[in-house]
Amino acid sequence: MKKSFFSATILMITVMVIGMFSMCGTAVAEEPIIINVAIISPLSGPAGPWGQVGLDVYEAWLELFNKEGFRVNGKLYNFKNINYDSLNTPEGGAACAKRAIFEDKVKFIVGHWDTSFLAVSAISNPAKVILIARNGNEAVGGGAYNPEKMPYVVFGTPSHEKFLSDIKAIVAAYPNYKRIGISDSTLGKGVGWDYVDRDLTAAGIRFHHEWYPFGTQDYSPYITRFKEAGCDVIYGAGDVLAAMMITKQRWDMGLKYIKTGTAGGLLDPKMYIDVSGYDASQGFIAQHANPLDYKKTKVNPKFIKMFREVQDMVSKKQGKPFNYTAWTDWGCAHMQILAQAMMKAGSVDDPDKIMNAIRGGTFDTMAGKYTMSGAKTYGSPIVFGNPGCISIIKGNKEVYLSENPWKPIP
Amino acid sequence: MPPAEILIEGLTQSCIYMTMAFGMVLVFSILGILNWTHGQLFMLGAFIVFYSTTAAGIPFPIGILLAGLVMAGIGILIKKFIIDRIKGELYIGVATLALIFALEGAASLLFTSDDRGLAIILPGVLNLGVVAISYQKMAVIIFTLIVMTAMYFVLNHTKVGLAIRAVAQQPVAASLYGISTERLSLIVMGIGCALAAMAGAIMAPLYPINPFIGRTPMIMALLAIVIGGLGSLTGAIVGGLILGFLHSVIAYYISYLSEVVLFGLIILILLVRPQGLFGASAK
Repeated sequence: MKKSFFSATILMITVMVIGMFSMCGTAVAEEPIIINVAIISPLSGPAGPWGQVGLDVYEAWLELFNKEGFRVNGKLYNFKNINYDSLNTPEGGAACAKRAIFEDKVKFIVGHWDTSFLAVSAISNPAKVILIARNGNEAVGGGAYNPEKMPYVVFGTPSHEKFLSDIKAIVAAYPNYKRIGISDSTLGKGVGWDYVDRDLTAAGIRFHHEWYPFGTQDYSPYITRFKEAGCDVIYGAGDVLAAMMITKQRWDMGLKYIKTGTAGGLLDPKMYIDVSGYDASQGFIAQHANPLDYKKTKVNPKFIKMFREVQDMVSKKQGKPFNYTAWTDWGCAHMQILAQAMMKAGSVDDPDKIMNAIRGGTFDTMAGKYTMSGAKTYGSPIVFGNPGCISIIKGNKEVYLSENPWKPIP
Repeated sequence: MPPAEILIEGLTQSCIYMTMAFGMVLVFSILGILNWTHGQLFMLGAFIVFYSTTAAGIPFPIGILLAGLVMAGIGILIKKFIIDRIKGELYIGVATLALIFALEGAASLLFTSDDRGLAIILPGVLNLGVVAISYQKMAVIIFTLIVMTAMYFVLNHTKVGLAIRAVAQQPVAASLYGISTERLSLIVMGIGCALAAMAGAIMAPLYPINPFIGRTPMIMALLAIVIGGLGSLTGAIVGGLILGFLHSVIAYYISYLSEVVLFGLIILILLVRPQGLFGASAK
């Protein structure tokens, strides 16, 4: 009796172990369902480097993200990116959107940041394709964005709010500043600046605007105007070439006390040193999106580990250290919003359900954990967060300078 | 009176427009066409001096000459294999327009669209108390003076210069005197392209280098030619000077509206003097 009981127990354990192993085997072998996402950005032309820099990052990040994937209604899903070259023009962006939506049957566009927002959204909205972009000048509250006509738009990267946050971080770093000069090309002139000006004035920050025609090479007239307005900082709103030339030309004019910078991530400090000169580029201010350095913004340790791995993978692939960090604010965070919204909505193909999950939802991303806000300003709570963190060039390196954590917008 | 910094920057810009415009007018006066790829030769000149200096360790002044020589050769090839094989000014113009995008595309493939810089060349600023001027800007001004003096000497005191002037004024009579217009047009194309490339090369330490830097100088050089008078070498110099100074001074006074006023002024000049300041009247 004892012997048969013992044999039966052994048999049962063996069956259970085999069963468990076979179940594990099934889980490992489960094929994920692929969801295509379009990334429409400039890959050629003058803005090409800013689109190109994301390609290796997306590849590496998705490799890590897809190892785990995400589950909706018990099914395993992975993202696959399809890259399109917008040429940084409305026509180019529209052509990409048409190709992505009508030929490649893509249902989601992420990481959009160039000048083709209106052209792309004019195609994506009627097709009920969710577009996660940044709120450029054309899309800021009170601008062309209309929550009723653009129900499938999400501002995953709030660029104007981030700009404001940058300025506040500069003021925190240099409390004895006299006046902050804000430079932008006439292409960027629009309602977005009324929005920025209103907030800066309310915050009691002293500033002066100058616009220059796009393609300007000689910035001495504008630098002189900044000087005469009493500015000791000139912070550019996005045009990196202009920022590099202002940095160099103010140095050549003997105005070494004026600090300069750009509202964009540093691609590589070497580029700024090569173009503006070593001495002139020291102290150059830029946006810093390195979760390893954040002192006030909390990022999920899991994503910090992921960040390190992505930087290593891209460095290995490119054969040189990859120090660009601004990617954490863009497409990868957008894909995380999308995946988490799909899980909450319990759907991967119903854009209305997914948008309902996005509006006012809280998402944990590479850029931090934020709740979608902006209901009053934008007419819909579809604006995600972003830390206002800035760095400077010191020697040949980019070092953390200051930070202004994200606050939800009304 | 605008501050001295504005005048110095205006003069620097003028130097670039002058050199570019001079080369374009030279080609126009002999070949009768506007070479729209002048801006891209400017861009390639900047790349040549960048790589010859940083990768090959060639001294900067020699790099400038090298840029001029290489692009003179390329210019001659463009003349031989493209311009000479297409009939009609319009079609030649279209071909050189197409070359803008072909050369920019090729440069993007070859060098990528990344911005490069040569700020390491002649760093430093001469501070005179009331005004500061960088050594790089001084180099541009001195280089332009040397080039213009050399061109004056070549055109007025050499046989080639005499032949160029003769063909520009009386092409039929010049050929009857045994001047080979074909050979001369190749020489002129080479000189014009070399000037564009050297302008790009001397500018390289001042501005970023990428495949698209030739567009603005090309447009400004064209405007300088129109102000000065199409076909007039003196006009190219004066037009370049006026444009460079006006651009900086107007921008200082009225900021971003400067282009509206500047281009409005150019239209006004053309309405009052359609032939430009130094061009021959059509009447």
